[in-house]
Amino acid sequence: MSQGRSVYVYGVLAAAQAARVPVAGVADSTVRAVSHSGLAALVSDVDGGPLAAAREMRAHWRVLEEAAGSSATVLPIRFGTVMESEAAVRERLLKPNEERLIGLLRELDGRVQLSLKSRYDEDRLIREVARASPSILALRERVGKLPGDAGYYDRIRLGEVVAGEVGRRKQADANLVLQRLEPFAVAVREETPASPETGFHLAFLVERDRIDDFSAAVGELGKEIGERARLRYLGPLPPYSFADANLTAGSAAWA
Amino acid sequence: MSIATTPRGYLERPRPSGLADVIDVILDKGMVIDVYVRVSLIGIEILTIDARIVIASVDTYLRFAEAVNRMDIASADETPGLPELMESVTSGGAKSKTSGAIEAAKEKLGIGEDEEEEEEKPKASASRRRSSSSRRSSSSGRSSSSRSRSSGSRSKGRG
Repeated sequence: MSQGRSVYVYGVLAAAQAARVPVAGVADSTVRAVSHSGLAALVSDVDGGPLAAAREMRAHWRVLEEAAGSSATVLPIRFGTVMESEAAVRERLLKPNEERLIGLLRELDGRVQLSLKSRYDEDRLIREVARASPSILALRERVGKLPGDAGYYDRIRLGEVVAGEVGRRKQADANLVLQRLEPFAVAVREETPASPETGFHLAFLVERDRIDDFSAAVGELGKEIGERARLRYLGPLPPYSFADANLTAGSAAWA
Repeated sequence: MSIATTPRGYLERPRPSGLADVIDVILDKGMVIDVYVRVSLIGIEILTIDARIVIASVDTYLRFAEAVNRMDIASADETPGLPELMESVTSGGAKSKTSGAIEAAKEKLGIGEDEEEEEEKPKASASRRRSSSSRRSSSSGRSSSSRSRSSGSRSKGRG
């Protein structure tokens, strides 16, 4: 087995769907496919030096987007994964996980990820919540009468109550969105919100031929809850949230 | 590949190249190959911290409390006093050394040099405001994967 340069691994797809990827990969490298019996892993050379996360994250994104094109199904590999050589990609990724990968590709074939996030004007939400709750108003009054330090725990308590109520409102919107969109989706993942302004972050797995229906439903939701929540709708994306397999780096090559 | 059609209405224009979206969609997602460690990445902790601010924290509660305290709840219209409210929330969020670190690192990473980047500016300032809670989560540094694993899967029949 030959020792080669380390390679960055982007994702796996059916070899038949692996077209040339015309965009640069991480560290401005050229992306190529490493194949093994019907499967292809997209890789590019890396020198082993550290990479700038923000820039390379975009490169990772672009490569998979190009690879997926308008019809291919690509299984994304977790951002930042590097293997010691091209041979290792074949021997330790593709070979030992062949059945698993083929199964996943079959399962996800013709399906894309559509993501929907909501963002709230937090101040507005806090105000609405406070106005609607007598207990918050009462707490607020008590806190207001106490001098700074003395009211510390009361202030935390007040904030906690407000935060709880804010959370409930966001969750109510998320539930509405799920209820409306689940009929168009094959699967749903509720992702962890990335920031306090984010109300919900939902990833839907949708058949390609249902994208338009899904989008129309998203449009309806936008009209309904768009007053209080700004919706951000992304896709079609490779199934980042649905290709969550833990693969075994098999030792076939060394056996 | 592009963006699903955007029906008119309140939807934001989708721009998947915005860093916030890129982080949300790909960080800690996708298949994991055991044994293989990730390439060393400059600034990944910072991205992670920025993206995964702990939501329920004392800092957040205090900030919420302050926002409630300052607001003029009685008045029907919220516009008066709003700039003041924003101001107080911003300064009340406790600036710290971390904010400087995050900014510096962002410059080093070239975030903000990108032409696609305008949209991230509000986010950058928001993260400055949240810096005290990010300091809290920074101790967990690279353990981003474990944190994000909490994203649960839902069965189809739910609802």
